[in-house]
Amino acid sequence: MSKLATWARLKSPWVLHFNSGACNGCDIEVIALLTPRYDVERFGIKLEPSPRHADVLLTTGSVTRQCAERLKRIYEQMPEPKFVVAIGACACSGGVFKGNYNVLDGVDKVIPVNAYIPGCPPKPEAIIDGVVKLLNSVKEAKPNGK
Amino acid sequence: MGDRVQIQPAYLGKAAIQVKAGSNRDAVKSLLEANKDAGIVALTGLDMGKKIGLMYHMCTNGVIVTIRTEVSKKNPKIPTISDLIPGAQFHERETTDLFGVIFEGHPNPARLVLPDDWPENLYPLRKDAKIDEALAKAETAPRQAEAVQPQSEGDLVNIIIGPQHPALLEPEKFSLKVDGEIVKHVEPRIGYVHRGIEKAAEQRTYLQDVYLVERICGICNSCHAACFVETVEKILGVEVPLRAQYLRTIILELNRLHSHMLLLGHAGLEIGYETLFQYMWRDREPVMDLTEILTGNRVISSAMTVGGVRRDLQETDIPKVKTQIATLKKKMDFYYKLFENEPSFKIRTQNVGVLSKEDALKLCVVGPVARGSGVAIDVRKDEPYEAYGEIPFNLITRDEGDSWARLMVRLDEVVEGINIIDYALDHMPSGPFRIKVPRVVVAGEAVNHVEAPRGELFYYVKSQGTAYPERVKVRTPTFANIPAFITIAEGGNIADVPPSFVSLDPCFSCTDR
Repeated sequence: MSKLATWARLKSPWVLHFNSGACNGCDIEVIALLTPRYDVERFGIKLEPSPRHADVLLTTGSVTRQCAERLKRIYEQMPEPKFVVAIGACACSGGVFKGNYNVLDGVDKVIPVNAYIPGCPPKPEAIIDGVVKLLNSVKEAKPNGK
Repeated sequence: MGDRVQIQPAYLGKAAIQVKAGSNRDAVKSLLEANKDAGIVALTGLDMGKKIGLMYHMCTNGVIVTIRTEVSKKNPKIPTISDLIPGAQFHERETTDLFGVIFEGHPNPARLVLPDDWPENLYPLRKDAKIDEALAKAETAPRQAEAVQPQSEGDLVNIIIGPQHPALLEPEKFSLKVDGEIVKHVEPRIGYVHRGIEKAAEQRTYLQDVYLVERICGICNSCHAACFVETVEKILGVEVPLRAQYLRTIILELNRLHSHMLLLGHAGLEIGYETLFQYMWRDREPVMDLTEILTGNRVISSAMTVGGVRRDLQETDIPKVKTQIATLKKKMDFYYKLFENEPSFKIRTQNVGVLSKEDALKLCVVGPVARGSGVAIDVRKDEPYEAYGEIPFNLITRDEGDSWARLMVRLDEVVEGINIIDYALDHMPSGPFRIKVPRVVVAGEAVNHVEAPRGELFYYVKSQGTAYPERVKVRTPTFANIPAFITIAEGGNIADVPPSFVSLDPCFSCTDR
């Protein structure tokens, strides 16, 4: 049964996008993934508006103090197993905003992260590569180190 | 007003007026009497040791006039001007957050950009603010939960949009009070993307700041960089080579093309017309490719630098650019047909979210929002910068004032942008594309504005003669356009909120900084 669930999850991961204080550079590249040139729907990836239906959380931005609580809540609302991808230099480590008074320097300060995609912003090809790598790792590994 | 006023004509490169704290209202009033269409561009706070300087940057006939005043840091109180100019409300709230200046008589002095659990009496842009210390102290205190409004009041139902919402790509919260289907009241809560960039800019060198301000907004990044380097060049008093000016113009216009097309596609998504979104974004990809050819990056271009541009245009690239934009221009005919004739598109946007010309002037809106309401303002025409003075192009206005008009203005500007790039490539002067400038900037200050895709972008930079700026103030066009959303949403149908909102081209990373 769990094999079937993993198979289904790999064939059609539903992703949720949350901007936790990004400059929009990464966000427009995430949206560009859905459009004809990159078209990630060919991997079965679907952008899902509700955290309760999502398997993968794509986060961008350096996490502002005002957003941190909300990011945590969204993560908690997602059903298990769940995966988090940090997209862009800001989400990985704070990027150019590191040390500013209102940012917490990276998504992993607030919630656990499974994959990091660096770049400012990463090219859509890089984001696809990162998500596909994550999917491959799901085949063997268990989510969140459990 | 006698001896209370002192006029300094050569100051900031523009006219400036120094007034005493109580007289700021009189000064604004007399400016409005002279020209009733005058509006506020920005309100800059400045830490001057024992005092806090306030600069009201006003715009009258396309020229920026600055009214300067000072308040003491111990008792920073000053009368509000938001009753004279409703557009000043948000500027004053922001200054209260960042500098602790209290505007007496302000209708709603609630927190705007700082987080809900930010310590009281900690004002990040004051030079003596001990932020780390105060935050560490606050960390030990229990965190306050996000403020939640009551669900309903009488017949009014509270609907909260955001911070995470499928229609918003960015986190921001809007509380709408609706009576049945009709929106009665809108309360925006911005600040979810506030990263404290104005403070960070003071801690980095001028060259580092170019890359920092680019990341205020990933969409209109080149405009931020261009406006900042122009301001610094004004303080330095250097003239950029003509070739660099043309190259900057091309990059700025490519930026406009991609931003407008992004928005037009996004508008399709918001009104439930996903095909338009997919088509528009497909046709936007060549613009991203051209940006990559010219600058090396798809999104954040990093092309501007103080004294010119970082990369020259290769002769071999010119035909590539020319063919791509010619193809794009042909494709625009299809979109004209669609926007003008498609009934499902027109029904969702025409007569939806109407902003009258009077309101547009009163709220000091900028860019395509103002031009869609028949206000002919465009910094490229009013005060030409870079090569815009030499390149012929049309100022686009539409009189309808509805969401459709605002989108049509952008479609027209895409075509104008293509023509500008074409002309600039044909008339590209030869010569250097960059000059060497000193790293240490002489003491001085300057204001500057450029026309970003969303409207007038304003920068104020003050230098004290070191490699680090003393103050960088950014007023983004989206910040100026937020009050317009409240006006057009109130009294309208709740289903019309998405199309009228998207037609303003909101961008919260700009708004919050």
